[in-house]
Amino acid sequence: MVWECVKELVNFAALSRQRIFIFGISIVIAVFVIRLFQLQIINYDENVERSSGNSIKAIEQIPLRGVFYDRNMELLAQNSPTYSIRITPSEYDTSDNSILEAALDLDRGTIKNILKKNRIYSRHIPIRIKRGVDIEAISWIEENFENLNGVDYIIEMQRTYPGGVNGAHLFGFSKEITPSQLKKDSFYVPGDLTGYTGIEKTYEKVLRGIKGYTYILVDSKRREVGRYKEGKNDVTSVKGKDLVLGIDAKIQKIAETELAGKSGAVVAVEPETGEILALASAPSYDLNMFSYRTPREYLEQLAKDKLKPQYNRATMSAHPPGSTFKILCALAALDLGVIDENTTLYCGGGYTFGRFFKCHGAHGSINVVQAIEKSCNSFFYQLIFKIKLDRLKEYATQFYLGKKFQSDFKEEVAGLIPNSRYYEKIYGPDWPRGILVSLGIGQGEISTTPLQLAFFTALVANNGKSHLPHIVKGFLDEHKKLHVNNSAPLNINIKEDIFKIVKEGMYLVVNGAGTASNVRLPNIKVAGKTGTAQNPHGKDHSWFVGFAPFEKPKIAVCVIVENAGYGATYAAPIARKMIETYLETDSVKTLPKTTEFTSGRY
Amino acid sequence: MRAQYDYRDKFDFVLFTAVSILIVIGLAAIYSSTQNTVNEQNSIYKQLAFWLVSLFAFSFVYSIPLQTIRSFTIPLYLTTILLLIIVLFLGRVAGGAKSWIPIGPFSLQPSEFAKISTLLALASYLSKPTTDIDSFKDLGYAIAIGMAPVLLILLEPDLGSALVFINLVLLLIFWKGISLFGLFVVLSPAVTALAALFGTPFLLAVLGLIVFVLLIVRKDIFFSGSIFALNLSAAYFVDELYSILSPHQQKRIMSFIDPGADPLGSGYNSLQAIIAVGSGGFLGQGFLSGNQTQLQFIPEQWTDFIFCVIGEEKGFIGSLIVISLYTIIFFRLMKIARISKDEFSSMLLIGILIVIFTHFFINIGMVLGLLPVIGIPLPFLSYGGSSLLSNMIMLGLVMNIYKNLKI
Repeated sequence: MVWECVKELVNFAALSRQRIFIFGISIVIAVFVIRLFQLQIINYDENVERSSGNSIKAIEQIPLRGVFYDRNMELLAQNSPTYSIRITPSEYDTSDNSILEAALDLDRGTIKNILKKNRIYSRHIPIRIKRGVDIEAISWIEENFENLNGVDYIIEMQRTYPGGVNGAHLFGFSKEITPSQLKKDSFYVPGDLTGYTGIEKTYEKVLRGIKGYTYILVDSKRREVGRYKEGKNDVTSVKGKDLVLGIDAKIQKIAETELAGKSGAVVAVEPETGEILALASAPSYDLNMFSYRTPREYLEQLAKDKLKPQYNRATMSAHPPGSTFKILCALAALDLGVIDENTTLYCGGGYTFGRFFKCHGAHGSINVVQAIEKSCNSFFYQLIFKIKLDRLKEYATQFYLGKKFQSDFKEEVAGLIPNSRYYEKIYGPDWPRGILVSLGIGQGEISTTPLQLAFFTALVANNGKSHLPHIVKGFLDEHKKLHVNNSAPLNINIKEDIFKIVKEGMYLVVNGAGTASNVRLPNIKVAGKTGTAQNPHGKDHSWFVGFAPFEKPKIAVCVIVENAGYGATYAAPIARKMIETYLETDSVKTLPKTTEFTSGRY
Repeated sequence: MRAQYDYRDKFDFVLFTAVSILIVIGLAAIYSSTQNTVNEQNSIYKQLAFWLVSLFAFSFVYSIPLQTIRSFTIPLYLTTILLLIIVLFLGRVAGGAKSWIPIGPFSLQPSEFAKISTLLALASYLSKPTTDIDSFKDLGYAIAIGMAPVLLILLEPDLGSALVFINLVLLLIFWKGISLFGLFVVLSPAVTALAALFGTPFLLAVLGLIVFVLLIVRKDIFFSGSIFALNLSAAYFVDELYSILSPHQQKRIMSFIDPGADPLGSGYNSLQAIIAVGSGGFLGQGFLSGNQTQLQFIPEQWTDFIFCVIGEEKGFIGSLIVISLYTIIFFRLMKIARISKDEFSSMLLIGILIVIFTHFFINIGMVLGLLPVIGIPLPFLSYGGSSLLSNMIMLGLVMNIYKNLKI
């Protein structure tokens, strides 16, 4: 059978070789035509897209980042041009590493490490190997351009800070984007900078602007051969929005200078608006060092410093509020009606509850105003039992004590105001009520941040009405018109009369026989309260909170100087200087509340 | 008699016109793909000059008697073999192969002319009345004539040209009327060799198949044994050959066997070619307007990848026209071969058909991504003096035969 078939095949082959040839040629031609139809007609769209993707290269135009102005339109942070050196890995010859490192003053192996880190990205995307390069290095690159394949430089912007405000904790800085951030936001490409701390981070999306693109035609070696459609499809970049901060450069500078060499924080708030007028933390660091790749030595130095300069004490350090807390206790007691302005309590030099709790004098029978003025401990030791812990906590929470603001500064801690559940958890249901005694004078298991106390003072000064504290007032549009950010208004439901009673006590602290007579100013009525936060680890921290002018408050300040001892000695003078400067300046006199750019309030 | 004399009996205008149109299309495509380059802008003028020279060569070959040409077969064959040896020593390297002998400002590619001389030698030998293609001796002789240049060309190494020779020998033997078993004997080593490239499992399967065929045909044991040994040695030989190939050619073969292995390396040309042809669409992007062509995404496009330019700039219609012109040439050659008076002429015509068709098949198959990337010019279209000259000489031979048809 098989043999027959083979024989037949042989015959067929022998007889019609010509036909086999024709058949073969026809098959090949048919296959080619079908394939052409498939490529050119069926897959046309796909191939056209691949063809343009091949040859059109989008060059990103990074927009100018928005700048910062203070409340008086003084420039605080701007952009200055700087050179960055880049390597395109697909074109770069790694044998140039050592020459390049020498020319750019980089450590040996730096380039290798950077390339290795960026291996996860496309080899056609240029990688910055050094930012902020000096002009000598650029001219060296220019001279050796022919021999350095895949090396180029671009002009980029870096932050500089004119006007002498450092504002490290306020402004924060930007850092090169991480791979995980890249995945979340398609705006960025590897090597982009993005806000890392401070308002650079909070307002990243406002500040960064909109990227532009120039489309160019490239050949197979990705060399530019012309503009795509003469630039008709190009997208112009849009500059990021400029921010106007509530900060007043003058008092911010005072805060920074006065804190220099100390460890502590200063926060000033405009009572009516909740705008932060000044916010400083010490020790601080030099923001200029973070404008581009930070030198390793500087980072090491910061990391080694036991005082942690990068830590924002104004919003992240929580200490017992000390006697400044007496203001809240007084407000709560008066509002609850457990005392009135005439109620007197007796101070015989202390108070016994289980054990003897000392006062710093024997004040006799005193009312609440006198108790605040003289900072009588005995009065408040007793008062807390009348208020009851959990009701006190409610008042504290209304005033944002022991509570995060969640406003435009992301780095903050809540602090702690305990309630009975808190003590039950730690000591069981029969927790010793004696703990409460020292809580009445703001000591023990209680902590607040400087910003919380500053805002608390502002609320008291403005009779419980303000807005959530915030750093940024608003942004400028292209016509330099200010658009004010909406910040949540706050209205604490306590009668104005009650605030008046407490404020009278605070006035006397400064102007009467009180503890802060050194804050007294000849032309301005200042009110305030000192405090000492007991510090189990060392010397006590010194607090001062205050506001001025007394009748129509324009500024509320909180100062803490860590490990400085008694509050009036160190903290109060800083506040006095800031209040004095702020209220003496023309801007506050002539423009009591707003700047000329204000477009309307909340 | 004189009244009936007609130029059309002496000259195949259809064939000549088809070839001329292809050359003109080729010139346009060469111009389009080189006008943006830095060093190749003269290519169009050089190609025009080659065309002129090749027209003289065509006329010369056309006018001398075929018998005179046939009598020079052996010297011509030996000369080109000599040139193929010389190129190995004095050759200029381009594209990874030592294929060119520099002569002044031009370079000569001996393998292009070896195609003609080998073709002549084979046609001459196979058309001898004494040659019995089913006899082992004569078959071996024919294969030897064809394989001598193949070995030399593989040393350059120029895989594309070598394939043309291999195809020429095989198909001419087939045309001559070799029995199916004879064809099996000739072809099985090639299949075995290919299987060896794909790996041991394939090789074993093919060897098994060969044993099966040998058992069915039931020739004597010595004969079957030697065929099997021939197959084994072919498998061994291809491995040796593979190691002779330059790395870029090895890569090309491997990238065809496993296209995903190196998409950015040797797959690059193939991908770019597909994109170029595909983005041409129905009517093409227009002369001098092809993205891929003008931006030089395909290296040396004016030589082996010239069909991309036509596909991209002239679209489906342009590509069809080119393919139709080739089809006309193929069928015309076939027709003349059928009516030619002697076996030598018929052999020669079929040989020319095979050579041109193999170029066409490998080149366009490669551009359309159906075959691996093997460097081989597209006849009449690709830039290249030697190629155009040898193709026009072959056309001269065809016309020479044609003019003798009707005397």
